[in-house]
Formats: sequence, structure tokens, C-alpha cells
Amino acid sequence: MSKKQDQGTNLLYRLIGEARTYDDVIVMGRGDPDFDTPAHIVAAAKEAMIHHHADHAPPEGLPALREAIAERVKRVNNIDVDPATEVVVTNGGQEALFLMVLAVIAPGDEMIVPEPNYNTYADSLAFAGGVKVEVQTWPNDAFRADPDLVRAAISERSRALLLVSPNNPAASVISPADTAELLDIASENDLMILSDEIYDLFVYDDFVHTSPAALPGGKERTLTLNALSKAYSMTGWRLGWIVGPADLMARVAELKAAISGGASVISQHAGIAALTGPQEPVEMMAEAYRKRRRLVLDALDAMGMKYGLPQGGQFVFADIGFTGLDSAEVAQRMLTEQHVLAYPGSAFSKDRKDYLRMTFLQPEDQLIEGLERMKTAMGSIMAGQ
Amino acid sequence: MSSQNKLGLLKRHEANGDLNRPLPGPMMRHAADLAADEAISPLDERVIAAASEAMEAGQTHYVDVPGIGPLREKIAAYLNESTGSACQAGNIIVTAGQQESRFLTIQKIGELYESIAVPDVVHPGARKALGVRQRQIVSLPADAEGRYLPTLAGLAAAVRGGCRLLYLESPSRLTGAAYSAAEVAEIGKILSDNNAAAIWDQGLAPWVDGACSSLAAQESAPARVAAIGETWPGQGLASWFIAYIAAPEDWAPTMQSQKQIMAICTATASQYAALEAGDLFAEARERQLAQLKRQRDALLDQARSRQLEVCGGGASNIIALKTVGGADGAVDRLRRAGYEAADGAHFGAANVIRLSVGSGTEAALEALS
Ligand SMILES: Cc1ncc(COP(=O)(O)O)c(C=O)c1O
Repeated sequence: MSKKQDQGTNLLYRLIGEARTYDDVIVMGRGDPDFDTPAHIVAAAKEAMIHHHADHAPPEGLPALREAIAERVKRVNNIDVDPATEVVVTNGGQEALFLMVLAVIAPGDEMIVPEPNYNTYADSLAFAGGVKVEVQTWPNDAFRADPDLVRAAISERSRALLLVSPNNPAASVISPADTAELLDIASENDLMILSDEIYDLFVYDDFVHTSPAALPGGKERTLTLNALSKAYSMTGWRLGWIVGPADLMARVAELKAAISGGASVISQHAGIAALTGPQEPVEMMAEAYRKRRRLVLDALDAMGMKYGLPQGGQFVFADIGFTGLDSAEVAQRMLTEQHVLAYPGSAFSKDRKDYLRMTFLQPEDQLIEGLERMKTAMGSIMAGQ
Repeated sequence: MSSQNKLGLLKRHEANGDLNRPLPGPMMRHAADLAADEAISPLDERVIAAASEAMEAGQTHYVDVPGIGPLREKIAAYLNESTGSACQAGNIIVTAGQQESRFLTIQKIGELYESIAVPDVVHPGARKALGVRQRQIVSLPADAEGRYLPTLAGLAAAVRGGCRLLYLESPSRLTGAAYSAAEVAEIGKILSDNNAAAIWDQGLAPWVDGACSSLAAQESAPARVAAIGETWPGQGLASWFIAYIAAPEDWAPTMQSQKQIMAICTATASQYAALEAGDLFAEARERQLAQLKRQRDALLDQARSRQLEVCGGGASNIIALKTVGGADGAVDRLRRAGYEAADGAHFGAANVIRLSVGSGTEAALEALS
């Protein structure tokens, strides 16, 4: 594929490929935490290899893991689910996302998607033959999904509303009041809600994350996704889940069986250890992200860059409109000239050519160096070199 | 208040018989569970050591979408040696199990063609994968010899009728019967004469005593076959969900991007385990095969003496039986005696059951007769 043609996920993978060719690259692109998986989880996986390698792995997941998930969503999200019928284990949040879309969208159905958003939703919708109806969000409003705009986007073909909170890439968190209002809108218009809460343990300042499925009347129409990837630094284990009402979850389980049959029992045992074991490592990582976020924001302020204040998650979505260049070009120049990788906004949405997404998933010294290089790259872009 | 939207989509799902077909488990739960796709196999210490070492060295992050390089190379080398194909690492996609291999090939290669021809008798996983998204399906009737493989005449008719993509299993996932070398050559010719393509499930081929021809190695049709199978069978990794797709270079990107969309990559620990298991497989296969064959031969004698009708054959890890009065009755009878069997009805052959060859099979045959 030529550089001109590639976009979305393909564009990101081409940039990742180029980044690999530089020994001194600083990666502020991919959403893969720099921490390795906590040792007690790795130990549990080793133990499982010895004692549980042949455990029967039903498509919906090991019963003990489903119980741990039910306990977790009750404790953290206040969602009540029956582990036997209302939980399906998936190959990461990514498979959960794909399954949620397949479960509710048929060809021609519309899904309302606040933009910018995680690009795989558009890919999954395209696979299902669904139509994305965008509701734009902007940095001056901290990328808030305005309920009035959501209401205005509803048509006869609307089937579902996507809520990713905290958001990737915008890092917005939907407020409790907005969550309640969006649920009301969904109920009034008979929409299903797909709630992606993969960053729910990373919420900053005084912002609060609310699960729509925890609100009265929410569970019946909501599929809620989460995964161990980001919270426990377990991206390579491919473990996530969906919880929702039993009738719909029976269908999700059939779809899960159809697309991949099940999830690795070793990863599942590691998942049980993650959810039921000590939570200090998560706290430690969350604390590190809090510090790094401050560091990045201070550096962007010093560069005079605008951004939507990251209320949660692991990203900053910054406005680079002042360069006058397409973000794909800016990202390319930063990478080639300064060996620092950030993701162009155009990979997330065709209307976000003015943005760059940066992660704070690297050690502080690397972040500082990366931001310094970014400043140099911006300097040379602005000088017209 | 009940949701009409939800009721509508539940109804749609309910009506989708292909999607809702029951799937055999990946690995036997115990000696009397003879319904699963794979027997219980011990996990070698070397596999545990290799996977542990990788995890402790920090291999706990995302890896490349199509799999880690060394594993792709090992799979390519294995396929070239065992089937005579000419794969390179770039042709290989590591998947999260055989069902993901089915799904990716059926859906993504399927997108390139107007219709797909599918055997009337096929692993239920293929039907499930087809059920996810509506496709035009052409039926391939099974032969009358009891192998339950599609006839070559049916296959040629489908292709001449305009269907340019075939989904085939050899050996059959129900009966273990495999196409002969001459038949595979003939299929290759039908494909190349008609500019047609195939997805070729060769997952049971390692359990065939002697040569088992792969369509992917046919000179007449080398460019248009995607082969799929487990990585590696018999090594205790069935519940770790790891398999491969070996596809022509121009087909690989569409499946890779779909793999990214639905999974990002295959579990890292499973990949490092499979990397080590590949060596063990090479060392152990002959011995495992000889043992399975001995067990199966004894079961054949026993079945004959009990007037049970065996069908198919070829793959030594399974034994398929014709049942009188439908598979349902036989499956229930076995269940009452404490044994699980795979129901041929789920594969499309209502009067056949499939049993894994293992320590419990002899007693199951006794219970059946
Ligand atoms: C919003 C969102 N959902 C889902 C995922 C999938 O994550 P994983 O499959 O690694 O659990 C990601 C990954 O970046 C994400 O940002």
C-alpha cells in the first residue's frame, strides 16, 4: 500500500513498522504500558501450566474467572451480573469490542459514535455492515459527548450508542449526569448501549467514571466491555470480557464460539490471579500514570499546545492545527527526523487531521526526552524546514 | 419496559441455525469424554520452561499481529517438510486456535468471492463461522462410500456452476478419511482449470499413517489455497488455543487486518509455548502416531466383533461409527453409560458418531453395542 493511500489502522501499523527500524526510537504511540505484568500473575500462569494446562475451556470462559469478573464489576462498577449466564471471557478487549458490535448490529443498522474514538469500532462496524453516525466532540469542551447532539443523531435505523469512557484517544470521561441522560435517551429511543470501560481504573483529578449498566434500567440494554490489558499491564495475554443481560449474553457466547472458540486457559488462570490477588501493582501503575500525565501536560503547555484535558485513560489528544500540516505528515516527520512516534489524529477520524495522540506509557526519562524531540520537530516544521 | 430492538436481534440470532450449532470442546475433559477435538495430552516440561522463561523475560506485551517471527518460520518449515508446500514466514498467520483460522479464512477469503462451497458434512465450526455473516453457500454432497468427504463430481459441478471458492477438510473432521494423492491432484486440476480457490483444513493430517496429500502442495494450484490446522496437535496445547493459516501472499493482508480488528494478536505465552512444542512434535509424532494406530486397530477389531459399522478412517486419533436410528440415540445411550461422543448431526451426518481414540474408547464401544 502506498503512503498516500494508507489510513486508519494501516497507517498506524506502517508507522510502528518504521519506528522499529530506529534503535533510539521513543514510542509515544501504541497503547501498550511499559510495565511488565506483575510477578504474582506470571507466577500463577506458571502454576497453571503445571496443574491446569488441560482444563476444559468453554467458549464463555472458565467458571472461576467468570466469578472473579462478576465480583470485579460489582466492586468497581456496581454492576450486578450472574457469573453463570451474564459474563463472557474474550481474547482481549479487542475481541470483546468486535463481539459487542456483531451482537447488536445487522447490515444497515446505525450506531451512534462520539468522535474521535478508538478506530477499531469503525472497522468492526464495517465488518458487520453497520453505519457509523458520528457525534463530534471538541477539546474546548474536554471532548464531551453532548447529549443534545446524540439525541439529534438518532434516526429510525439507530440501534446502538457507543460510549467509550475514559475515551481513547480523547481521554474524556463521561460525567455521571451525562451518563444518566444518555441512558435516558437510549431508553426513550430503544437503543442498546455498548460501554467500553477498559480505562476505568485510570481517572484523574476529581472526575468520576460511571457505568451505564449500574444505573436503574441500564443493565437490560447495555453490554459492558473491559479487559486486563491496560489495568494490569497484560496486553500480551489477550484477556477481556463482556457483561450484560443473560438473553443477550447467550448470543454473545454463540458469537464468541464462532469466531475463536475460547480463550487460552493459561491466560485465564493468570486473569484469575490478577483479579483476585493483590491490587497494589495496579495502584502503583495508576500513580505513575498520574505523575507522567502532569509531566506531559506541563511540557505541552510550555510548547503552547492546545489539548482537551485528559480526564482519564492513558492519552493526550493535542491540537497541532497551528502547524498547518496534516497530522499524518507531522507524525511522519517526527518519526523520521526525531525518532519519536506519536499517532496522527487522522488515523482515528478523517476529521481529526489537526491532532496528535500521545501516550504516557513510557518511563519518565523517556517521556522527557520524547517531548524534547517533539519540540525540536515542531520547531523545524514551524521554521518551514 | 421490554426492548423491541433487543427482541428483534434476539429473534434474528435465534433463527440462525448455523451460528447456533454446538461446537465440540477443544480438549477432552477426562478419559470418558470422547467428544472433544483433541485427546488429553501431557504438557512437556520443556514447553513449560520455554513459556515461563519468555514471560519472565518480559514477553507479556502485544506482539506482531501475524505472530512472532520464529514461530511463523517454524510453522512454514514444518509445512514445507511435511506437506511439500513452499511457504515462507510471510505466508503464515498465527491464530488463536483452529476456530479463529476457520473464521478468518471463511470470512475474509470469502469476501473475495461471490459464494463459497461447503461440504454437507463438515466440522460444526465451519458452519458457525459462516453463520456470523450471511454468505451465499453452495452445497458439496458427501460420497456414498461412507468417508463423508465431498465427491469430486459434486465439487467439479459446484465450480463449473460458478462457485470459485471451496472449503474442504482432508482428513474429514468427522470420519478421519482423507482424499488420496490422485484425488487431491484431481481437485487441484479442477481448481486451476476453473480459476478457483480453496480453504483446506489439514489439521488432522499428522494423524494419518503414511502420506496425506495437501492441496496446498499441488503444483497445478499452488497460488490459490489457504491451509489451516492446529499448532501443534498432540502436544497438550489444545486449551491454549493456537493454530495457523498458511495463505498466498496476496491473501494474507486482508486476514491480518481482520485479525488486528478482532484480536490484535495471539496470546504471547501460547506462542512461546508453541515454539517449543514444535520441536517436541517433530520428535514425538512418529511414536504418538504408532500408538494411536495400534489402539485404533484394536478398536476396529472390537467394533467388527460387536457388529458396529465403522466409517471413514485414515486419521488414527478418531473413530467414526454409523448408528442405527440416528446419532441422537447413540449419543444419549453413551451419555447414560458415562461417555461423551461427538454427534454427527452437528457435522451434518445424522447417523454417525465420532469418538476420540483413547483409554476410554474400548469401554465406550462396549457400552454402545
Ligand atoms: C478503547 C479501547 N477498547 C479496547 C481496546 C482493546 O484492548 P485489548 O484488546 O488489548 O484488551 C483498546 C486498546 O487500545 C482500547 O483503547
